[in-house]
Amino acid sequence: ESISKQATEIWISKIQVNKPAVLRRAEQIQARRPVKKEWQAAWLLKAVTCIDLTTLSGDDTASNIQRLCYKAKYPIREDLLKALNMHDKGITTAAVCVYPARVCDAVRALKAAGCDIPVASVATGFPAAQTHLKTRLEEIRLAVEDGATEIDVVINRTLVLTGQWKALYDEIRQFRKACGEAHLKTILATGELGSLTNVYKASMIAMMAGSDFIKTSTGKETVNATFPVAIVMLRAIRDFFWKTGNKVGFKPAGGIRSAKDSLVWLSLIKEELGDEWMKPELFRIGASTLLADIERQIYHHVTGRYAAYHDLPMS
Amino acid sequence: MRTGVIGLILSPTFPFLDMMWRICPALAVGCTVVVLVPPASPTPLLLAQLAGELGPFPGILNVISGPASLGPVLAAQPGVQKVAFCGAIEEGRALRRTLAGWVPELGLALGAESLLLLTEVADVDSAVEGIVDAAWSDRSPGGLRLLIQEAVWDETMRRLQERMGRLRCGHGLDGAVDMGARGAAARDLAQRYVSEAQSQGAQVFQAGSEPSDSPFFPPTLVSDLPPASPCTQAEVPWPLVVASPFRTAKEALAVANGTPRGGSASVWSERLGQALELAYGLQVGTVWINAHGLRDPAVPMGGCKESGSSWHGGQDGLYEYLRPSGTPAWIPYLSKTLNYDAFGLALPSTLPAGPETGPAPPYGLFVGGRFQAPGARSSRPIRDSQGSLQGYVAEGGAKDIRGAVEAAHQAAPGWMSQSPAARAALLWALAAALQRREPNLVSRLERHGVELKVAKAEVELSVKRLRAWGARVQAQGCALQVAELRGPVLRLREPLGVLAIVCPDEWPLLAFVSLLAPALAHGNTVVLVPSGACPIPALEVCQEMATLLPAGLVNVVTGDRDHLTRCLALHQDIQALWYFGSAQGSQFVEWASAGNLKPVWVNRGCPRAWDQEAEGAGPELGRRAARTKALWLPMGD
Repeated sequence: ESISKQATEIWISKIQVNKPAVLRRAEQIQARRPVKKEWQAAWLLKAVTCIDLTTLSGDDTASNIQRLCYKAKYPIREDLLKALNMHDKGITTAAVCVYPARVCDAVRALKAAGCDIPVASVATGFPAAQTHLKTRLEEIRLAVEDGATEIDVVINRTLVLTGQWKALYDEIRQFRKACGEAHLKTILATGELGSLTNVYKASMIAMMAGSDFIKTSTGKETVNATFPVAIVMLRAIRDFFWKTGNKVGFKPAGGIRSAKDSLVWLSLIKEELGDEWMKPELFRIGASTLLADIERQIYHHVTGRYAAYHDLPMS
Repeated sequence: MRTGVIGLILSPTFPFLDMMWRICPALAVGCTVVVLVPPASPTPLLLAQLAGELGPFPGILNVISGPASLGPVLAAQPGVQKVAFCGAIEEGRALRRTLAGWVPELGLALGAESLLLLTEVADVDSAVEGIVDAAWSDRSPGGLRLLIQEAVWDETMRRLQERMGRLRCGHGLDGAVDMGARGAAARDLAQRYVSEAQSQGAQVFQAGSEPSDSPFFPPTLVSDLPPASPCTQAEVPWPLVVASPFRTAKEALAVANGTPRGGSASVWSERLGQALELAYGLQVGTVWINAHGLRDPAVPMGGCKESGSSWHGGQDGLYEYLRPSGTPAWIPYLSKTLNYDAFGLALPSTLPAGPETGPAPPYGLFVGGRFQAPGARSSRPIRDSQGSLQGYVAEGGAKDIRGAVEAAHQAAPGWMSQSPAARAALLWALAAALQRREPNLVSRLERHGVELKVAKAEVELSVKRLRAWGARVQAQGCALQVAELRGPVLRLREPLGVLAIVCPDEWPLLAFVSLLAPALAHGNTVVLVPSGACPIPALEVCQEMATLLPAGLVNVVTGDRDHLTRCLALHQDIQALWYFGSAQGSQFVEWASAGNLKPVWVNRGCPRAWDQEAEGAGPELGRRAARTKALWLPMGD
């Protein structure tokens, strides 16, 4: 949808975010809603279904992509799921996330495994976005051609830091058009935006320009997904929903390694946005080693013993 | 020097932390403590048992479980030098009346309501979290008065109601629960307030609903309560939030300061200048900027007005349990036969002195910067040491006291906003003027029976004291270091407002000046009643003040001391009262201060050595002449 320039300016100019207060809320959230026993196991399985299983390294080849895709189809060992009576509920991760050059491999591997989960591709000069707009748009088109049905784009931080909000809006609109039918996730790279107020403003612009999801970070910055930044983005999502009725999803990525963290993320979503956002359509976690830790927690819940590294299949 | 045995009386819903905040400083400075707790709480008894196991000093912490009526019994025990009470305002008032005249000094920390001021340039979501911390958590001491700028009223209400939907009430010790229950009494109080508010036309919003027999009271938001309704005047109980709108920052201050309570408040604004202006203008003991409810042992916490004037935490908290070294322990001076209703009520009639009309026209009252005739249009004779007539001074009455206090209030804003240098300059000018008047003053004192040498010394010392206090005037505030906070916490010293002083009979000039100087140096305006037997030196000083000081800064009313004391003590708009007179007068002053719970300082009938530095110009005077405010400034962007 198109928003007029004045509306943009009005929405953006009145925003105030108080960092010490947000930090205090972030501390509180981590301690306030612990989940135990069988409810914890259930929440962990919910977290699994929200994971975008990711591999973004320079040394990715077809073999590790194939292993990743297989793990995406069978994230938790069969017997553990049977013990929880969840083996027939179709527990898979939400998506697989790879570099544009590896999209073909991922699509092939998922087809071979008989799985219909989407392949998400990063694009637009990931992770720094310091390339020409033309090549960035072309990357999106090529990834969509290869079969990616979700695109994770990175915003141009230069525009944020120089306050060119209209230009940022226009760029993201172009990304939206290039995606076509594909699902657009906009990465804000919050670690490089400078202040929480900028994070809020960038979130608003991204949502107004038509993103389906806003994502905290690429995973390659010095500071990735932290709770204070998430609180600000979730408040932006809620405000956007109140203003327009559109629900935009949220994806934290980078630095989420432990099962305990994933539980805190889920309870944060529940507290700030409500139960409707606790599904893969509106919440994803970008992670790679998280799945292993969740599997070990579930192993412990089922058997009462701590698993060794080799007890569980590699991803 | 430490005080001695402290008695501590706690209210039925005291938090454990509050109790520790009072016990620990007392023990740290060397006092021993007896705590009176309500029968329903076993935790302090466990604490006392642990304290009892501490080897060589088994009796330092003692706990008695009993009803609040044992309070006066505790105070009556010989050896108890101070009683500290924290609880409800009405109970504190009753205790103040009961303990008037008793040995222990009384420290009150009353009321639990706090205030939250939300401007339009605030981060509203964070302010909503602040409201949750302030009113709807187990850590919150009481209810909350919420002032919201009209421009952000709808937005705030919507976010508040949404947030209330996510609060969880349950078992207090369950980590995943936000609010527990605080007992049937608290629940009933809240229920009554809500019903009354509804009958007065307010809108009440509760996110969930509890069955009527459940011990939990849901978080409640009350809005559209008319400002003049009785509910707005009453204290807001936990867990209620009463919201009212305001238009401008000036109006916000007027509404916020328009209650008799002055505990703690927070200001939410992203504009530094505006936030600081509001923080300085609020008449409370603690102000947080863009935060609420932060506490630290190094920062003093207390109140003003009807929230009592006792402090805990920081240096001020320690001074509660100390008294100046060299002062003897308090002795009992209670007069059980004192009739509070009749004390100082009747003016004794004074007959005219005789056929001679007196050496000079009678002195008027020095009110509003000039000498005025008293309302009663009568004077009283002043006799010198030989019994012959020295002169006439005005017979001041209730009307004159009222006029004097009004004049003092009018001069107060101007005097408070003067820079420390300007105040110092005025005090030095007054000292110089006094020095010029020395022969005059010496002769007045001599006629009163003071030896020439002593009289000269008295005048010299008065001049010196004025200069010394002038030099000590400085913008008093210091930044405190708080362990877990990023950002400064300022401990400000602010003037009390209008200070009423009843000067002693001994050292007529020196005591007058020794009390006047610190009061003025700290930014207060003053109403004084000079020495009864020898007021003329004070009135001579007034003649100098008429030309030097702004009008209304110092007001001097002569007359029958008991009658004037009664008028001052019962006056609701005097912020503090210092009384140096008879034992009966001291008792009356303590009793009457329960009216607006003003801090009082009485001498209990014992004369004070005003010529000694420690008693006449010591730091105690400076401490009592101003009040503290803690200003929290968390930083970060």
